[in-house]
Amino acid sequence: MTEAPTLTYAFAVCRGGDLTAPAEPLAELPGLGTGAPVRTVAAGPLTAVVQDVPAAGYGEEALRRRLSDGAELERCARAHHAVITAASALAPAVPLPLATVYLDDGRVREALGDRETSFLTALDRIAGRVEWGVKVYAPTGPPPASEAAPAEGPGPDRSGRAYLDRVRTRQRGREQRHTLALRAAERVDTVVRGLAVAARRLRPHGVEVTGKHRAHVLNAAYLLDLGRERELRAALASLRHDETEVQIELSGPWAPYSFADGGITDPGPTP
Amino acid sequence: MTERDLAHPPSVTAERHPSDLAEILERVLDKGIVIAGDIKIDLLDIELLTIRLRLFISSVDTARKAGIDWWETDPALSSRAARDTLAQENAELRSRLHALESRIGSEELSTVGAAGEERRP
Repeated sequence: MTEAPTLTYAFAVCRGGDLTAPAEPLAELPGLGTGAPVRTVAAGPLTAVVQDVPAAGYGEEALRRRLSDGAELERCARAHHAVITAASALAPAVPLPLATVYLDDGRVREALGDRETSFLTALDRIAGRVEWGVKVYAPTGPPPASEAAPAEGPGPDRSGRAYLDRVRTRQRGREQRHTLALRAAERVDTVVRGLAVAARRLRPHGVEVTGKHRAHVLNAAYLLDLGRERELRAALASLRHDETEVQIELSGPWAPYSFADGGITDPGPTP
Repeated sequence: MTERDLAHPPSVTAERHPSDLAEILERVLDKGIVIAGDIKIDLLDIELLTIRLRLFISSVDTARKAGIDWWETDPALSSRAARDTLAQENAELRSRLHALESRIGSEELSTVGAAGEERRP
């Protein structure tokens, strides 16, 4: 062999019978763009979706450098996501985290063999289901005119006490609006949970993602049966109508990233 | 509004899928079954990444235009930046050392008077 040494990058795991090799729609994907086809590795009842990647570019140090580069991280994340999305369109697929790299196909088979039961359990849980993301935002703009007007005008009272009162009133207003938004977010969560077989809370995004004009008060993922999209959209339309103090966004359907491991539901909102 | 009009279950066309980078990153980085690969990236590195990725704006290009380039300047994320930081720290330490040395040099000249006052009980 004179070819450059390669490693095996693993994207997702399916049930062997569901994803027959060669899986043509996968082979057409660029994957990480290494030139090698996206292919499958069978291991007992399971099949991993993998791609050969050059050892020089995906070894420990190279991989760390790669993921530390913003543009390259984005490229890898989107490539990883594209393969997982394609695989889950063909069969129930358990997504693996970004940068799951093995020395060779043999090591992939070993890893799948070691975790066979958890993979099969996860595959049963996600079959026929998709993940939806629901995000709730609270606007952080200036308070409504009714609240601000009495205190804001260039009134005759310019004392320090009056100034402090205005500051306190504004602060209280902000806190009240935030509390109301959090309560609205809980109501949204309760409704969507009612449609879902499982729910997870993700960490809210920072201001750099949301923009300064709004705060992220709920970032949640829900696992829904495939047929319930219409119900979900109707429920959100109704929530948007009722919960006027917050913005509600839906994203999906996603491959069931947030429901591939561990238990079925989280214990609910944390205090 | 980022809601996508997705009337169909997952399909092969990537364009029709959620493409918001922050959402993709939070899913591909710490979700799914973790079967530690053979090539191990320090978990701390990934943790740092995920923390910063919460702050990731929709695209790298947008970020560049907005002047946000943490991956080029954040020592936790960029080895180049780490080297720059070390070089900068080194330079700062050198200049402080230089300043201290010259102060000591000038103080030695005035030690006699100053020491007399300080030692008074």
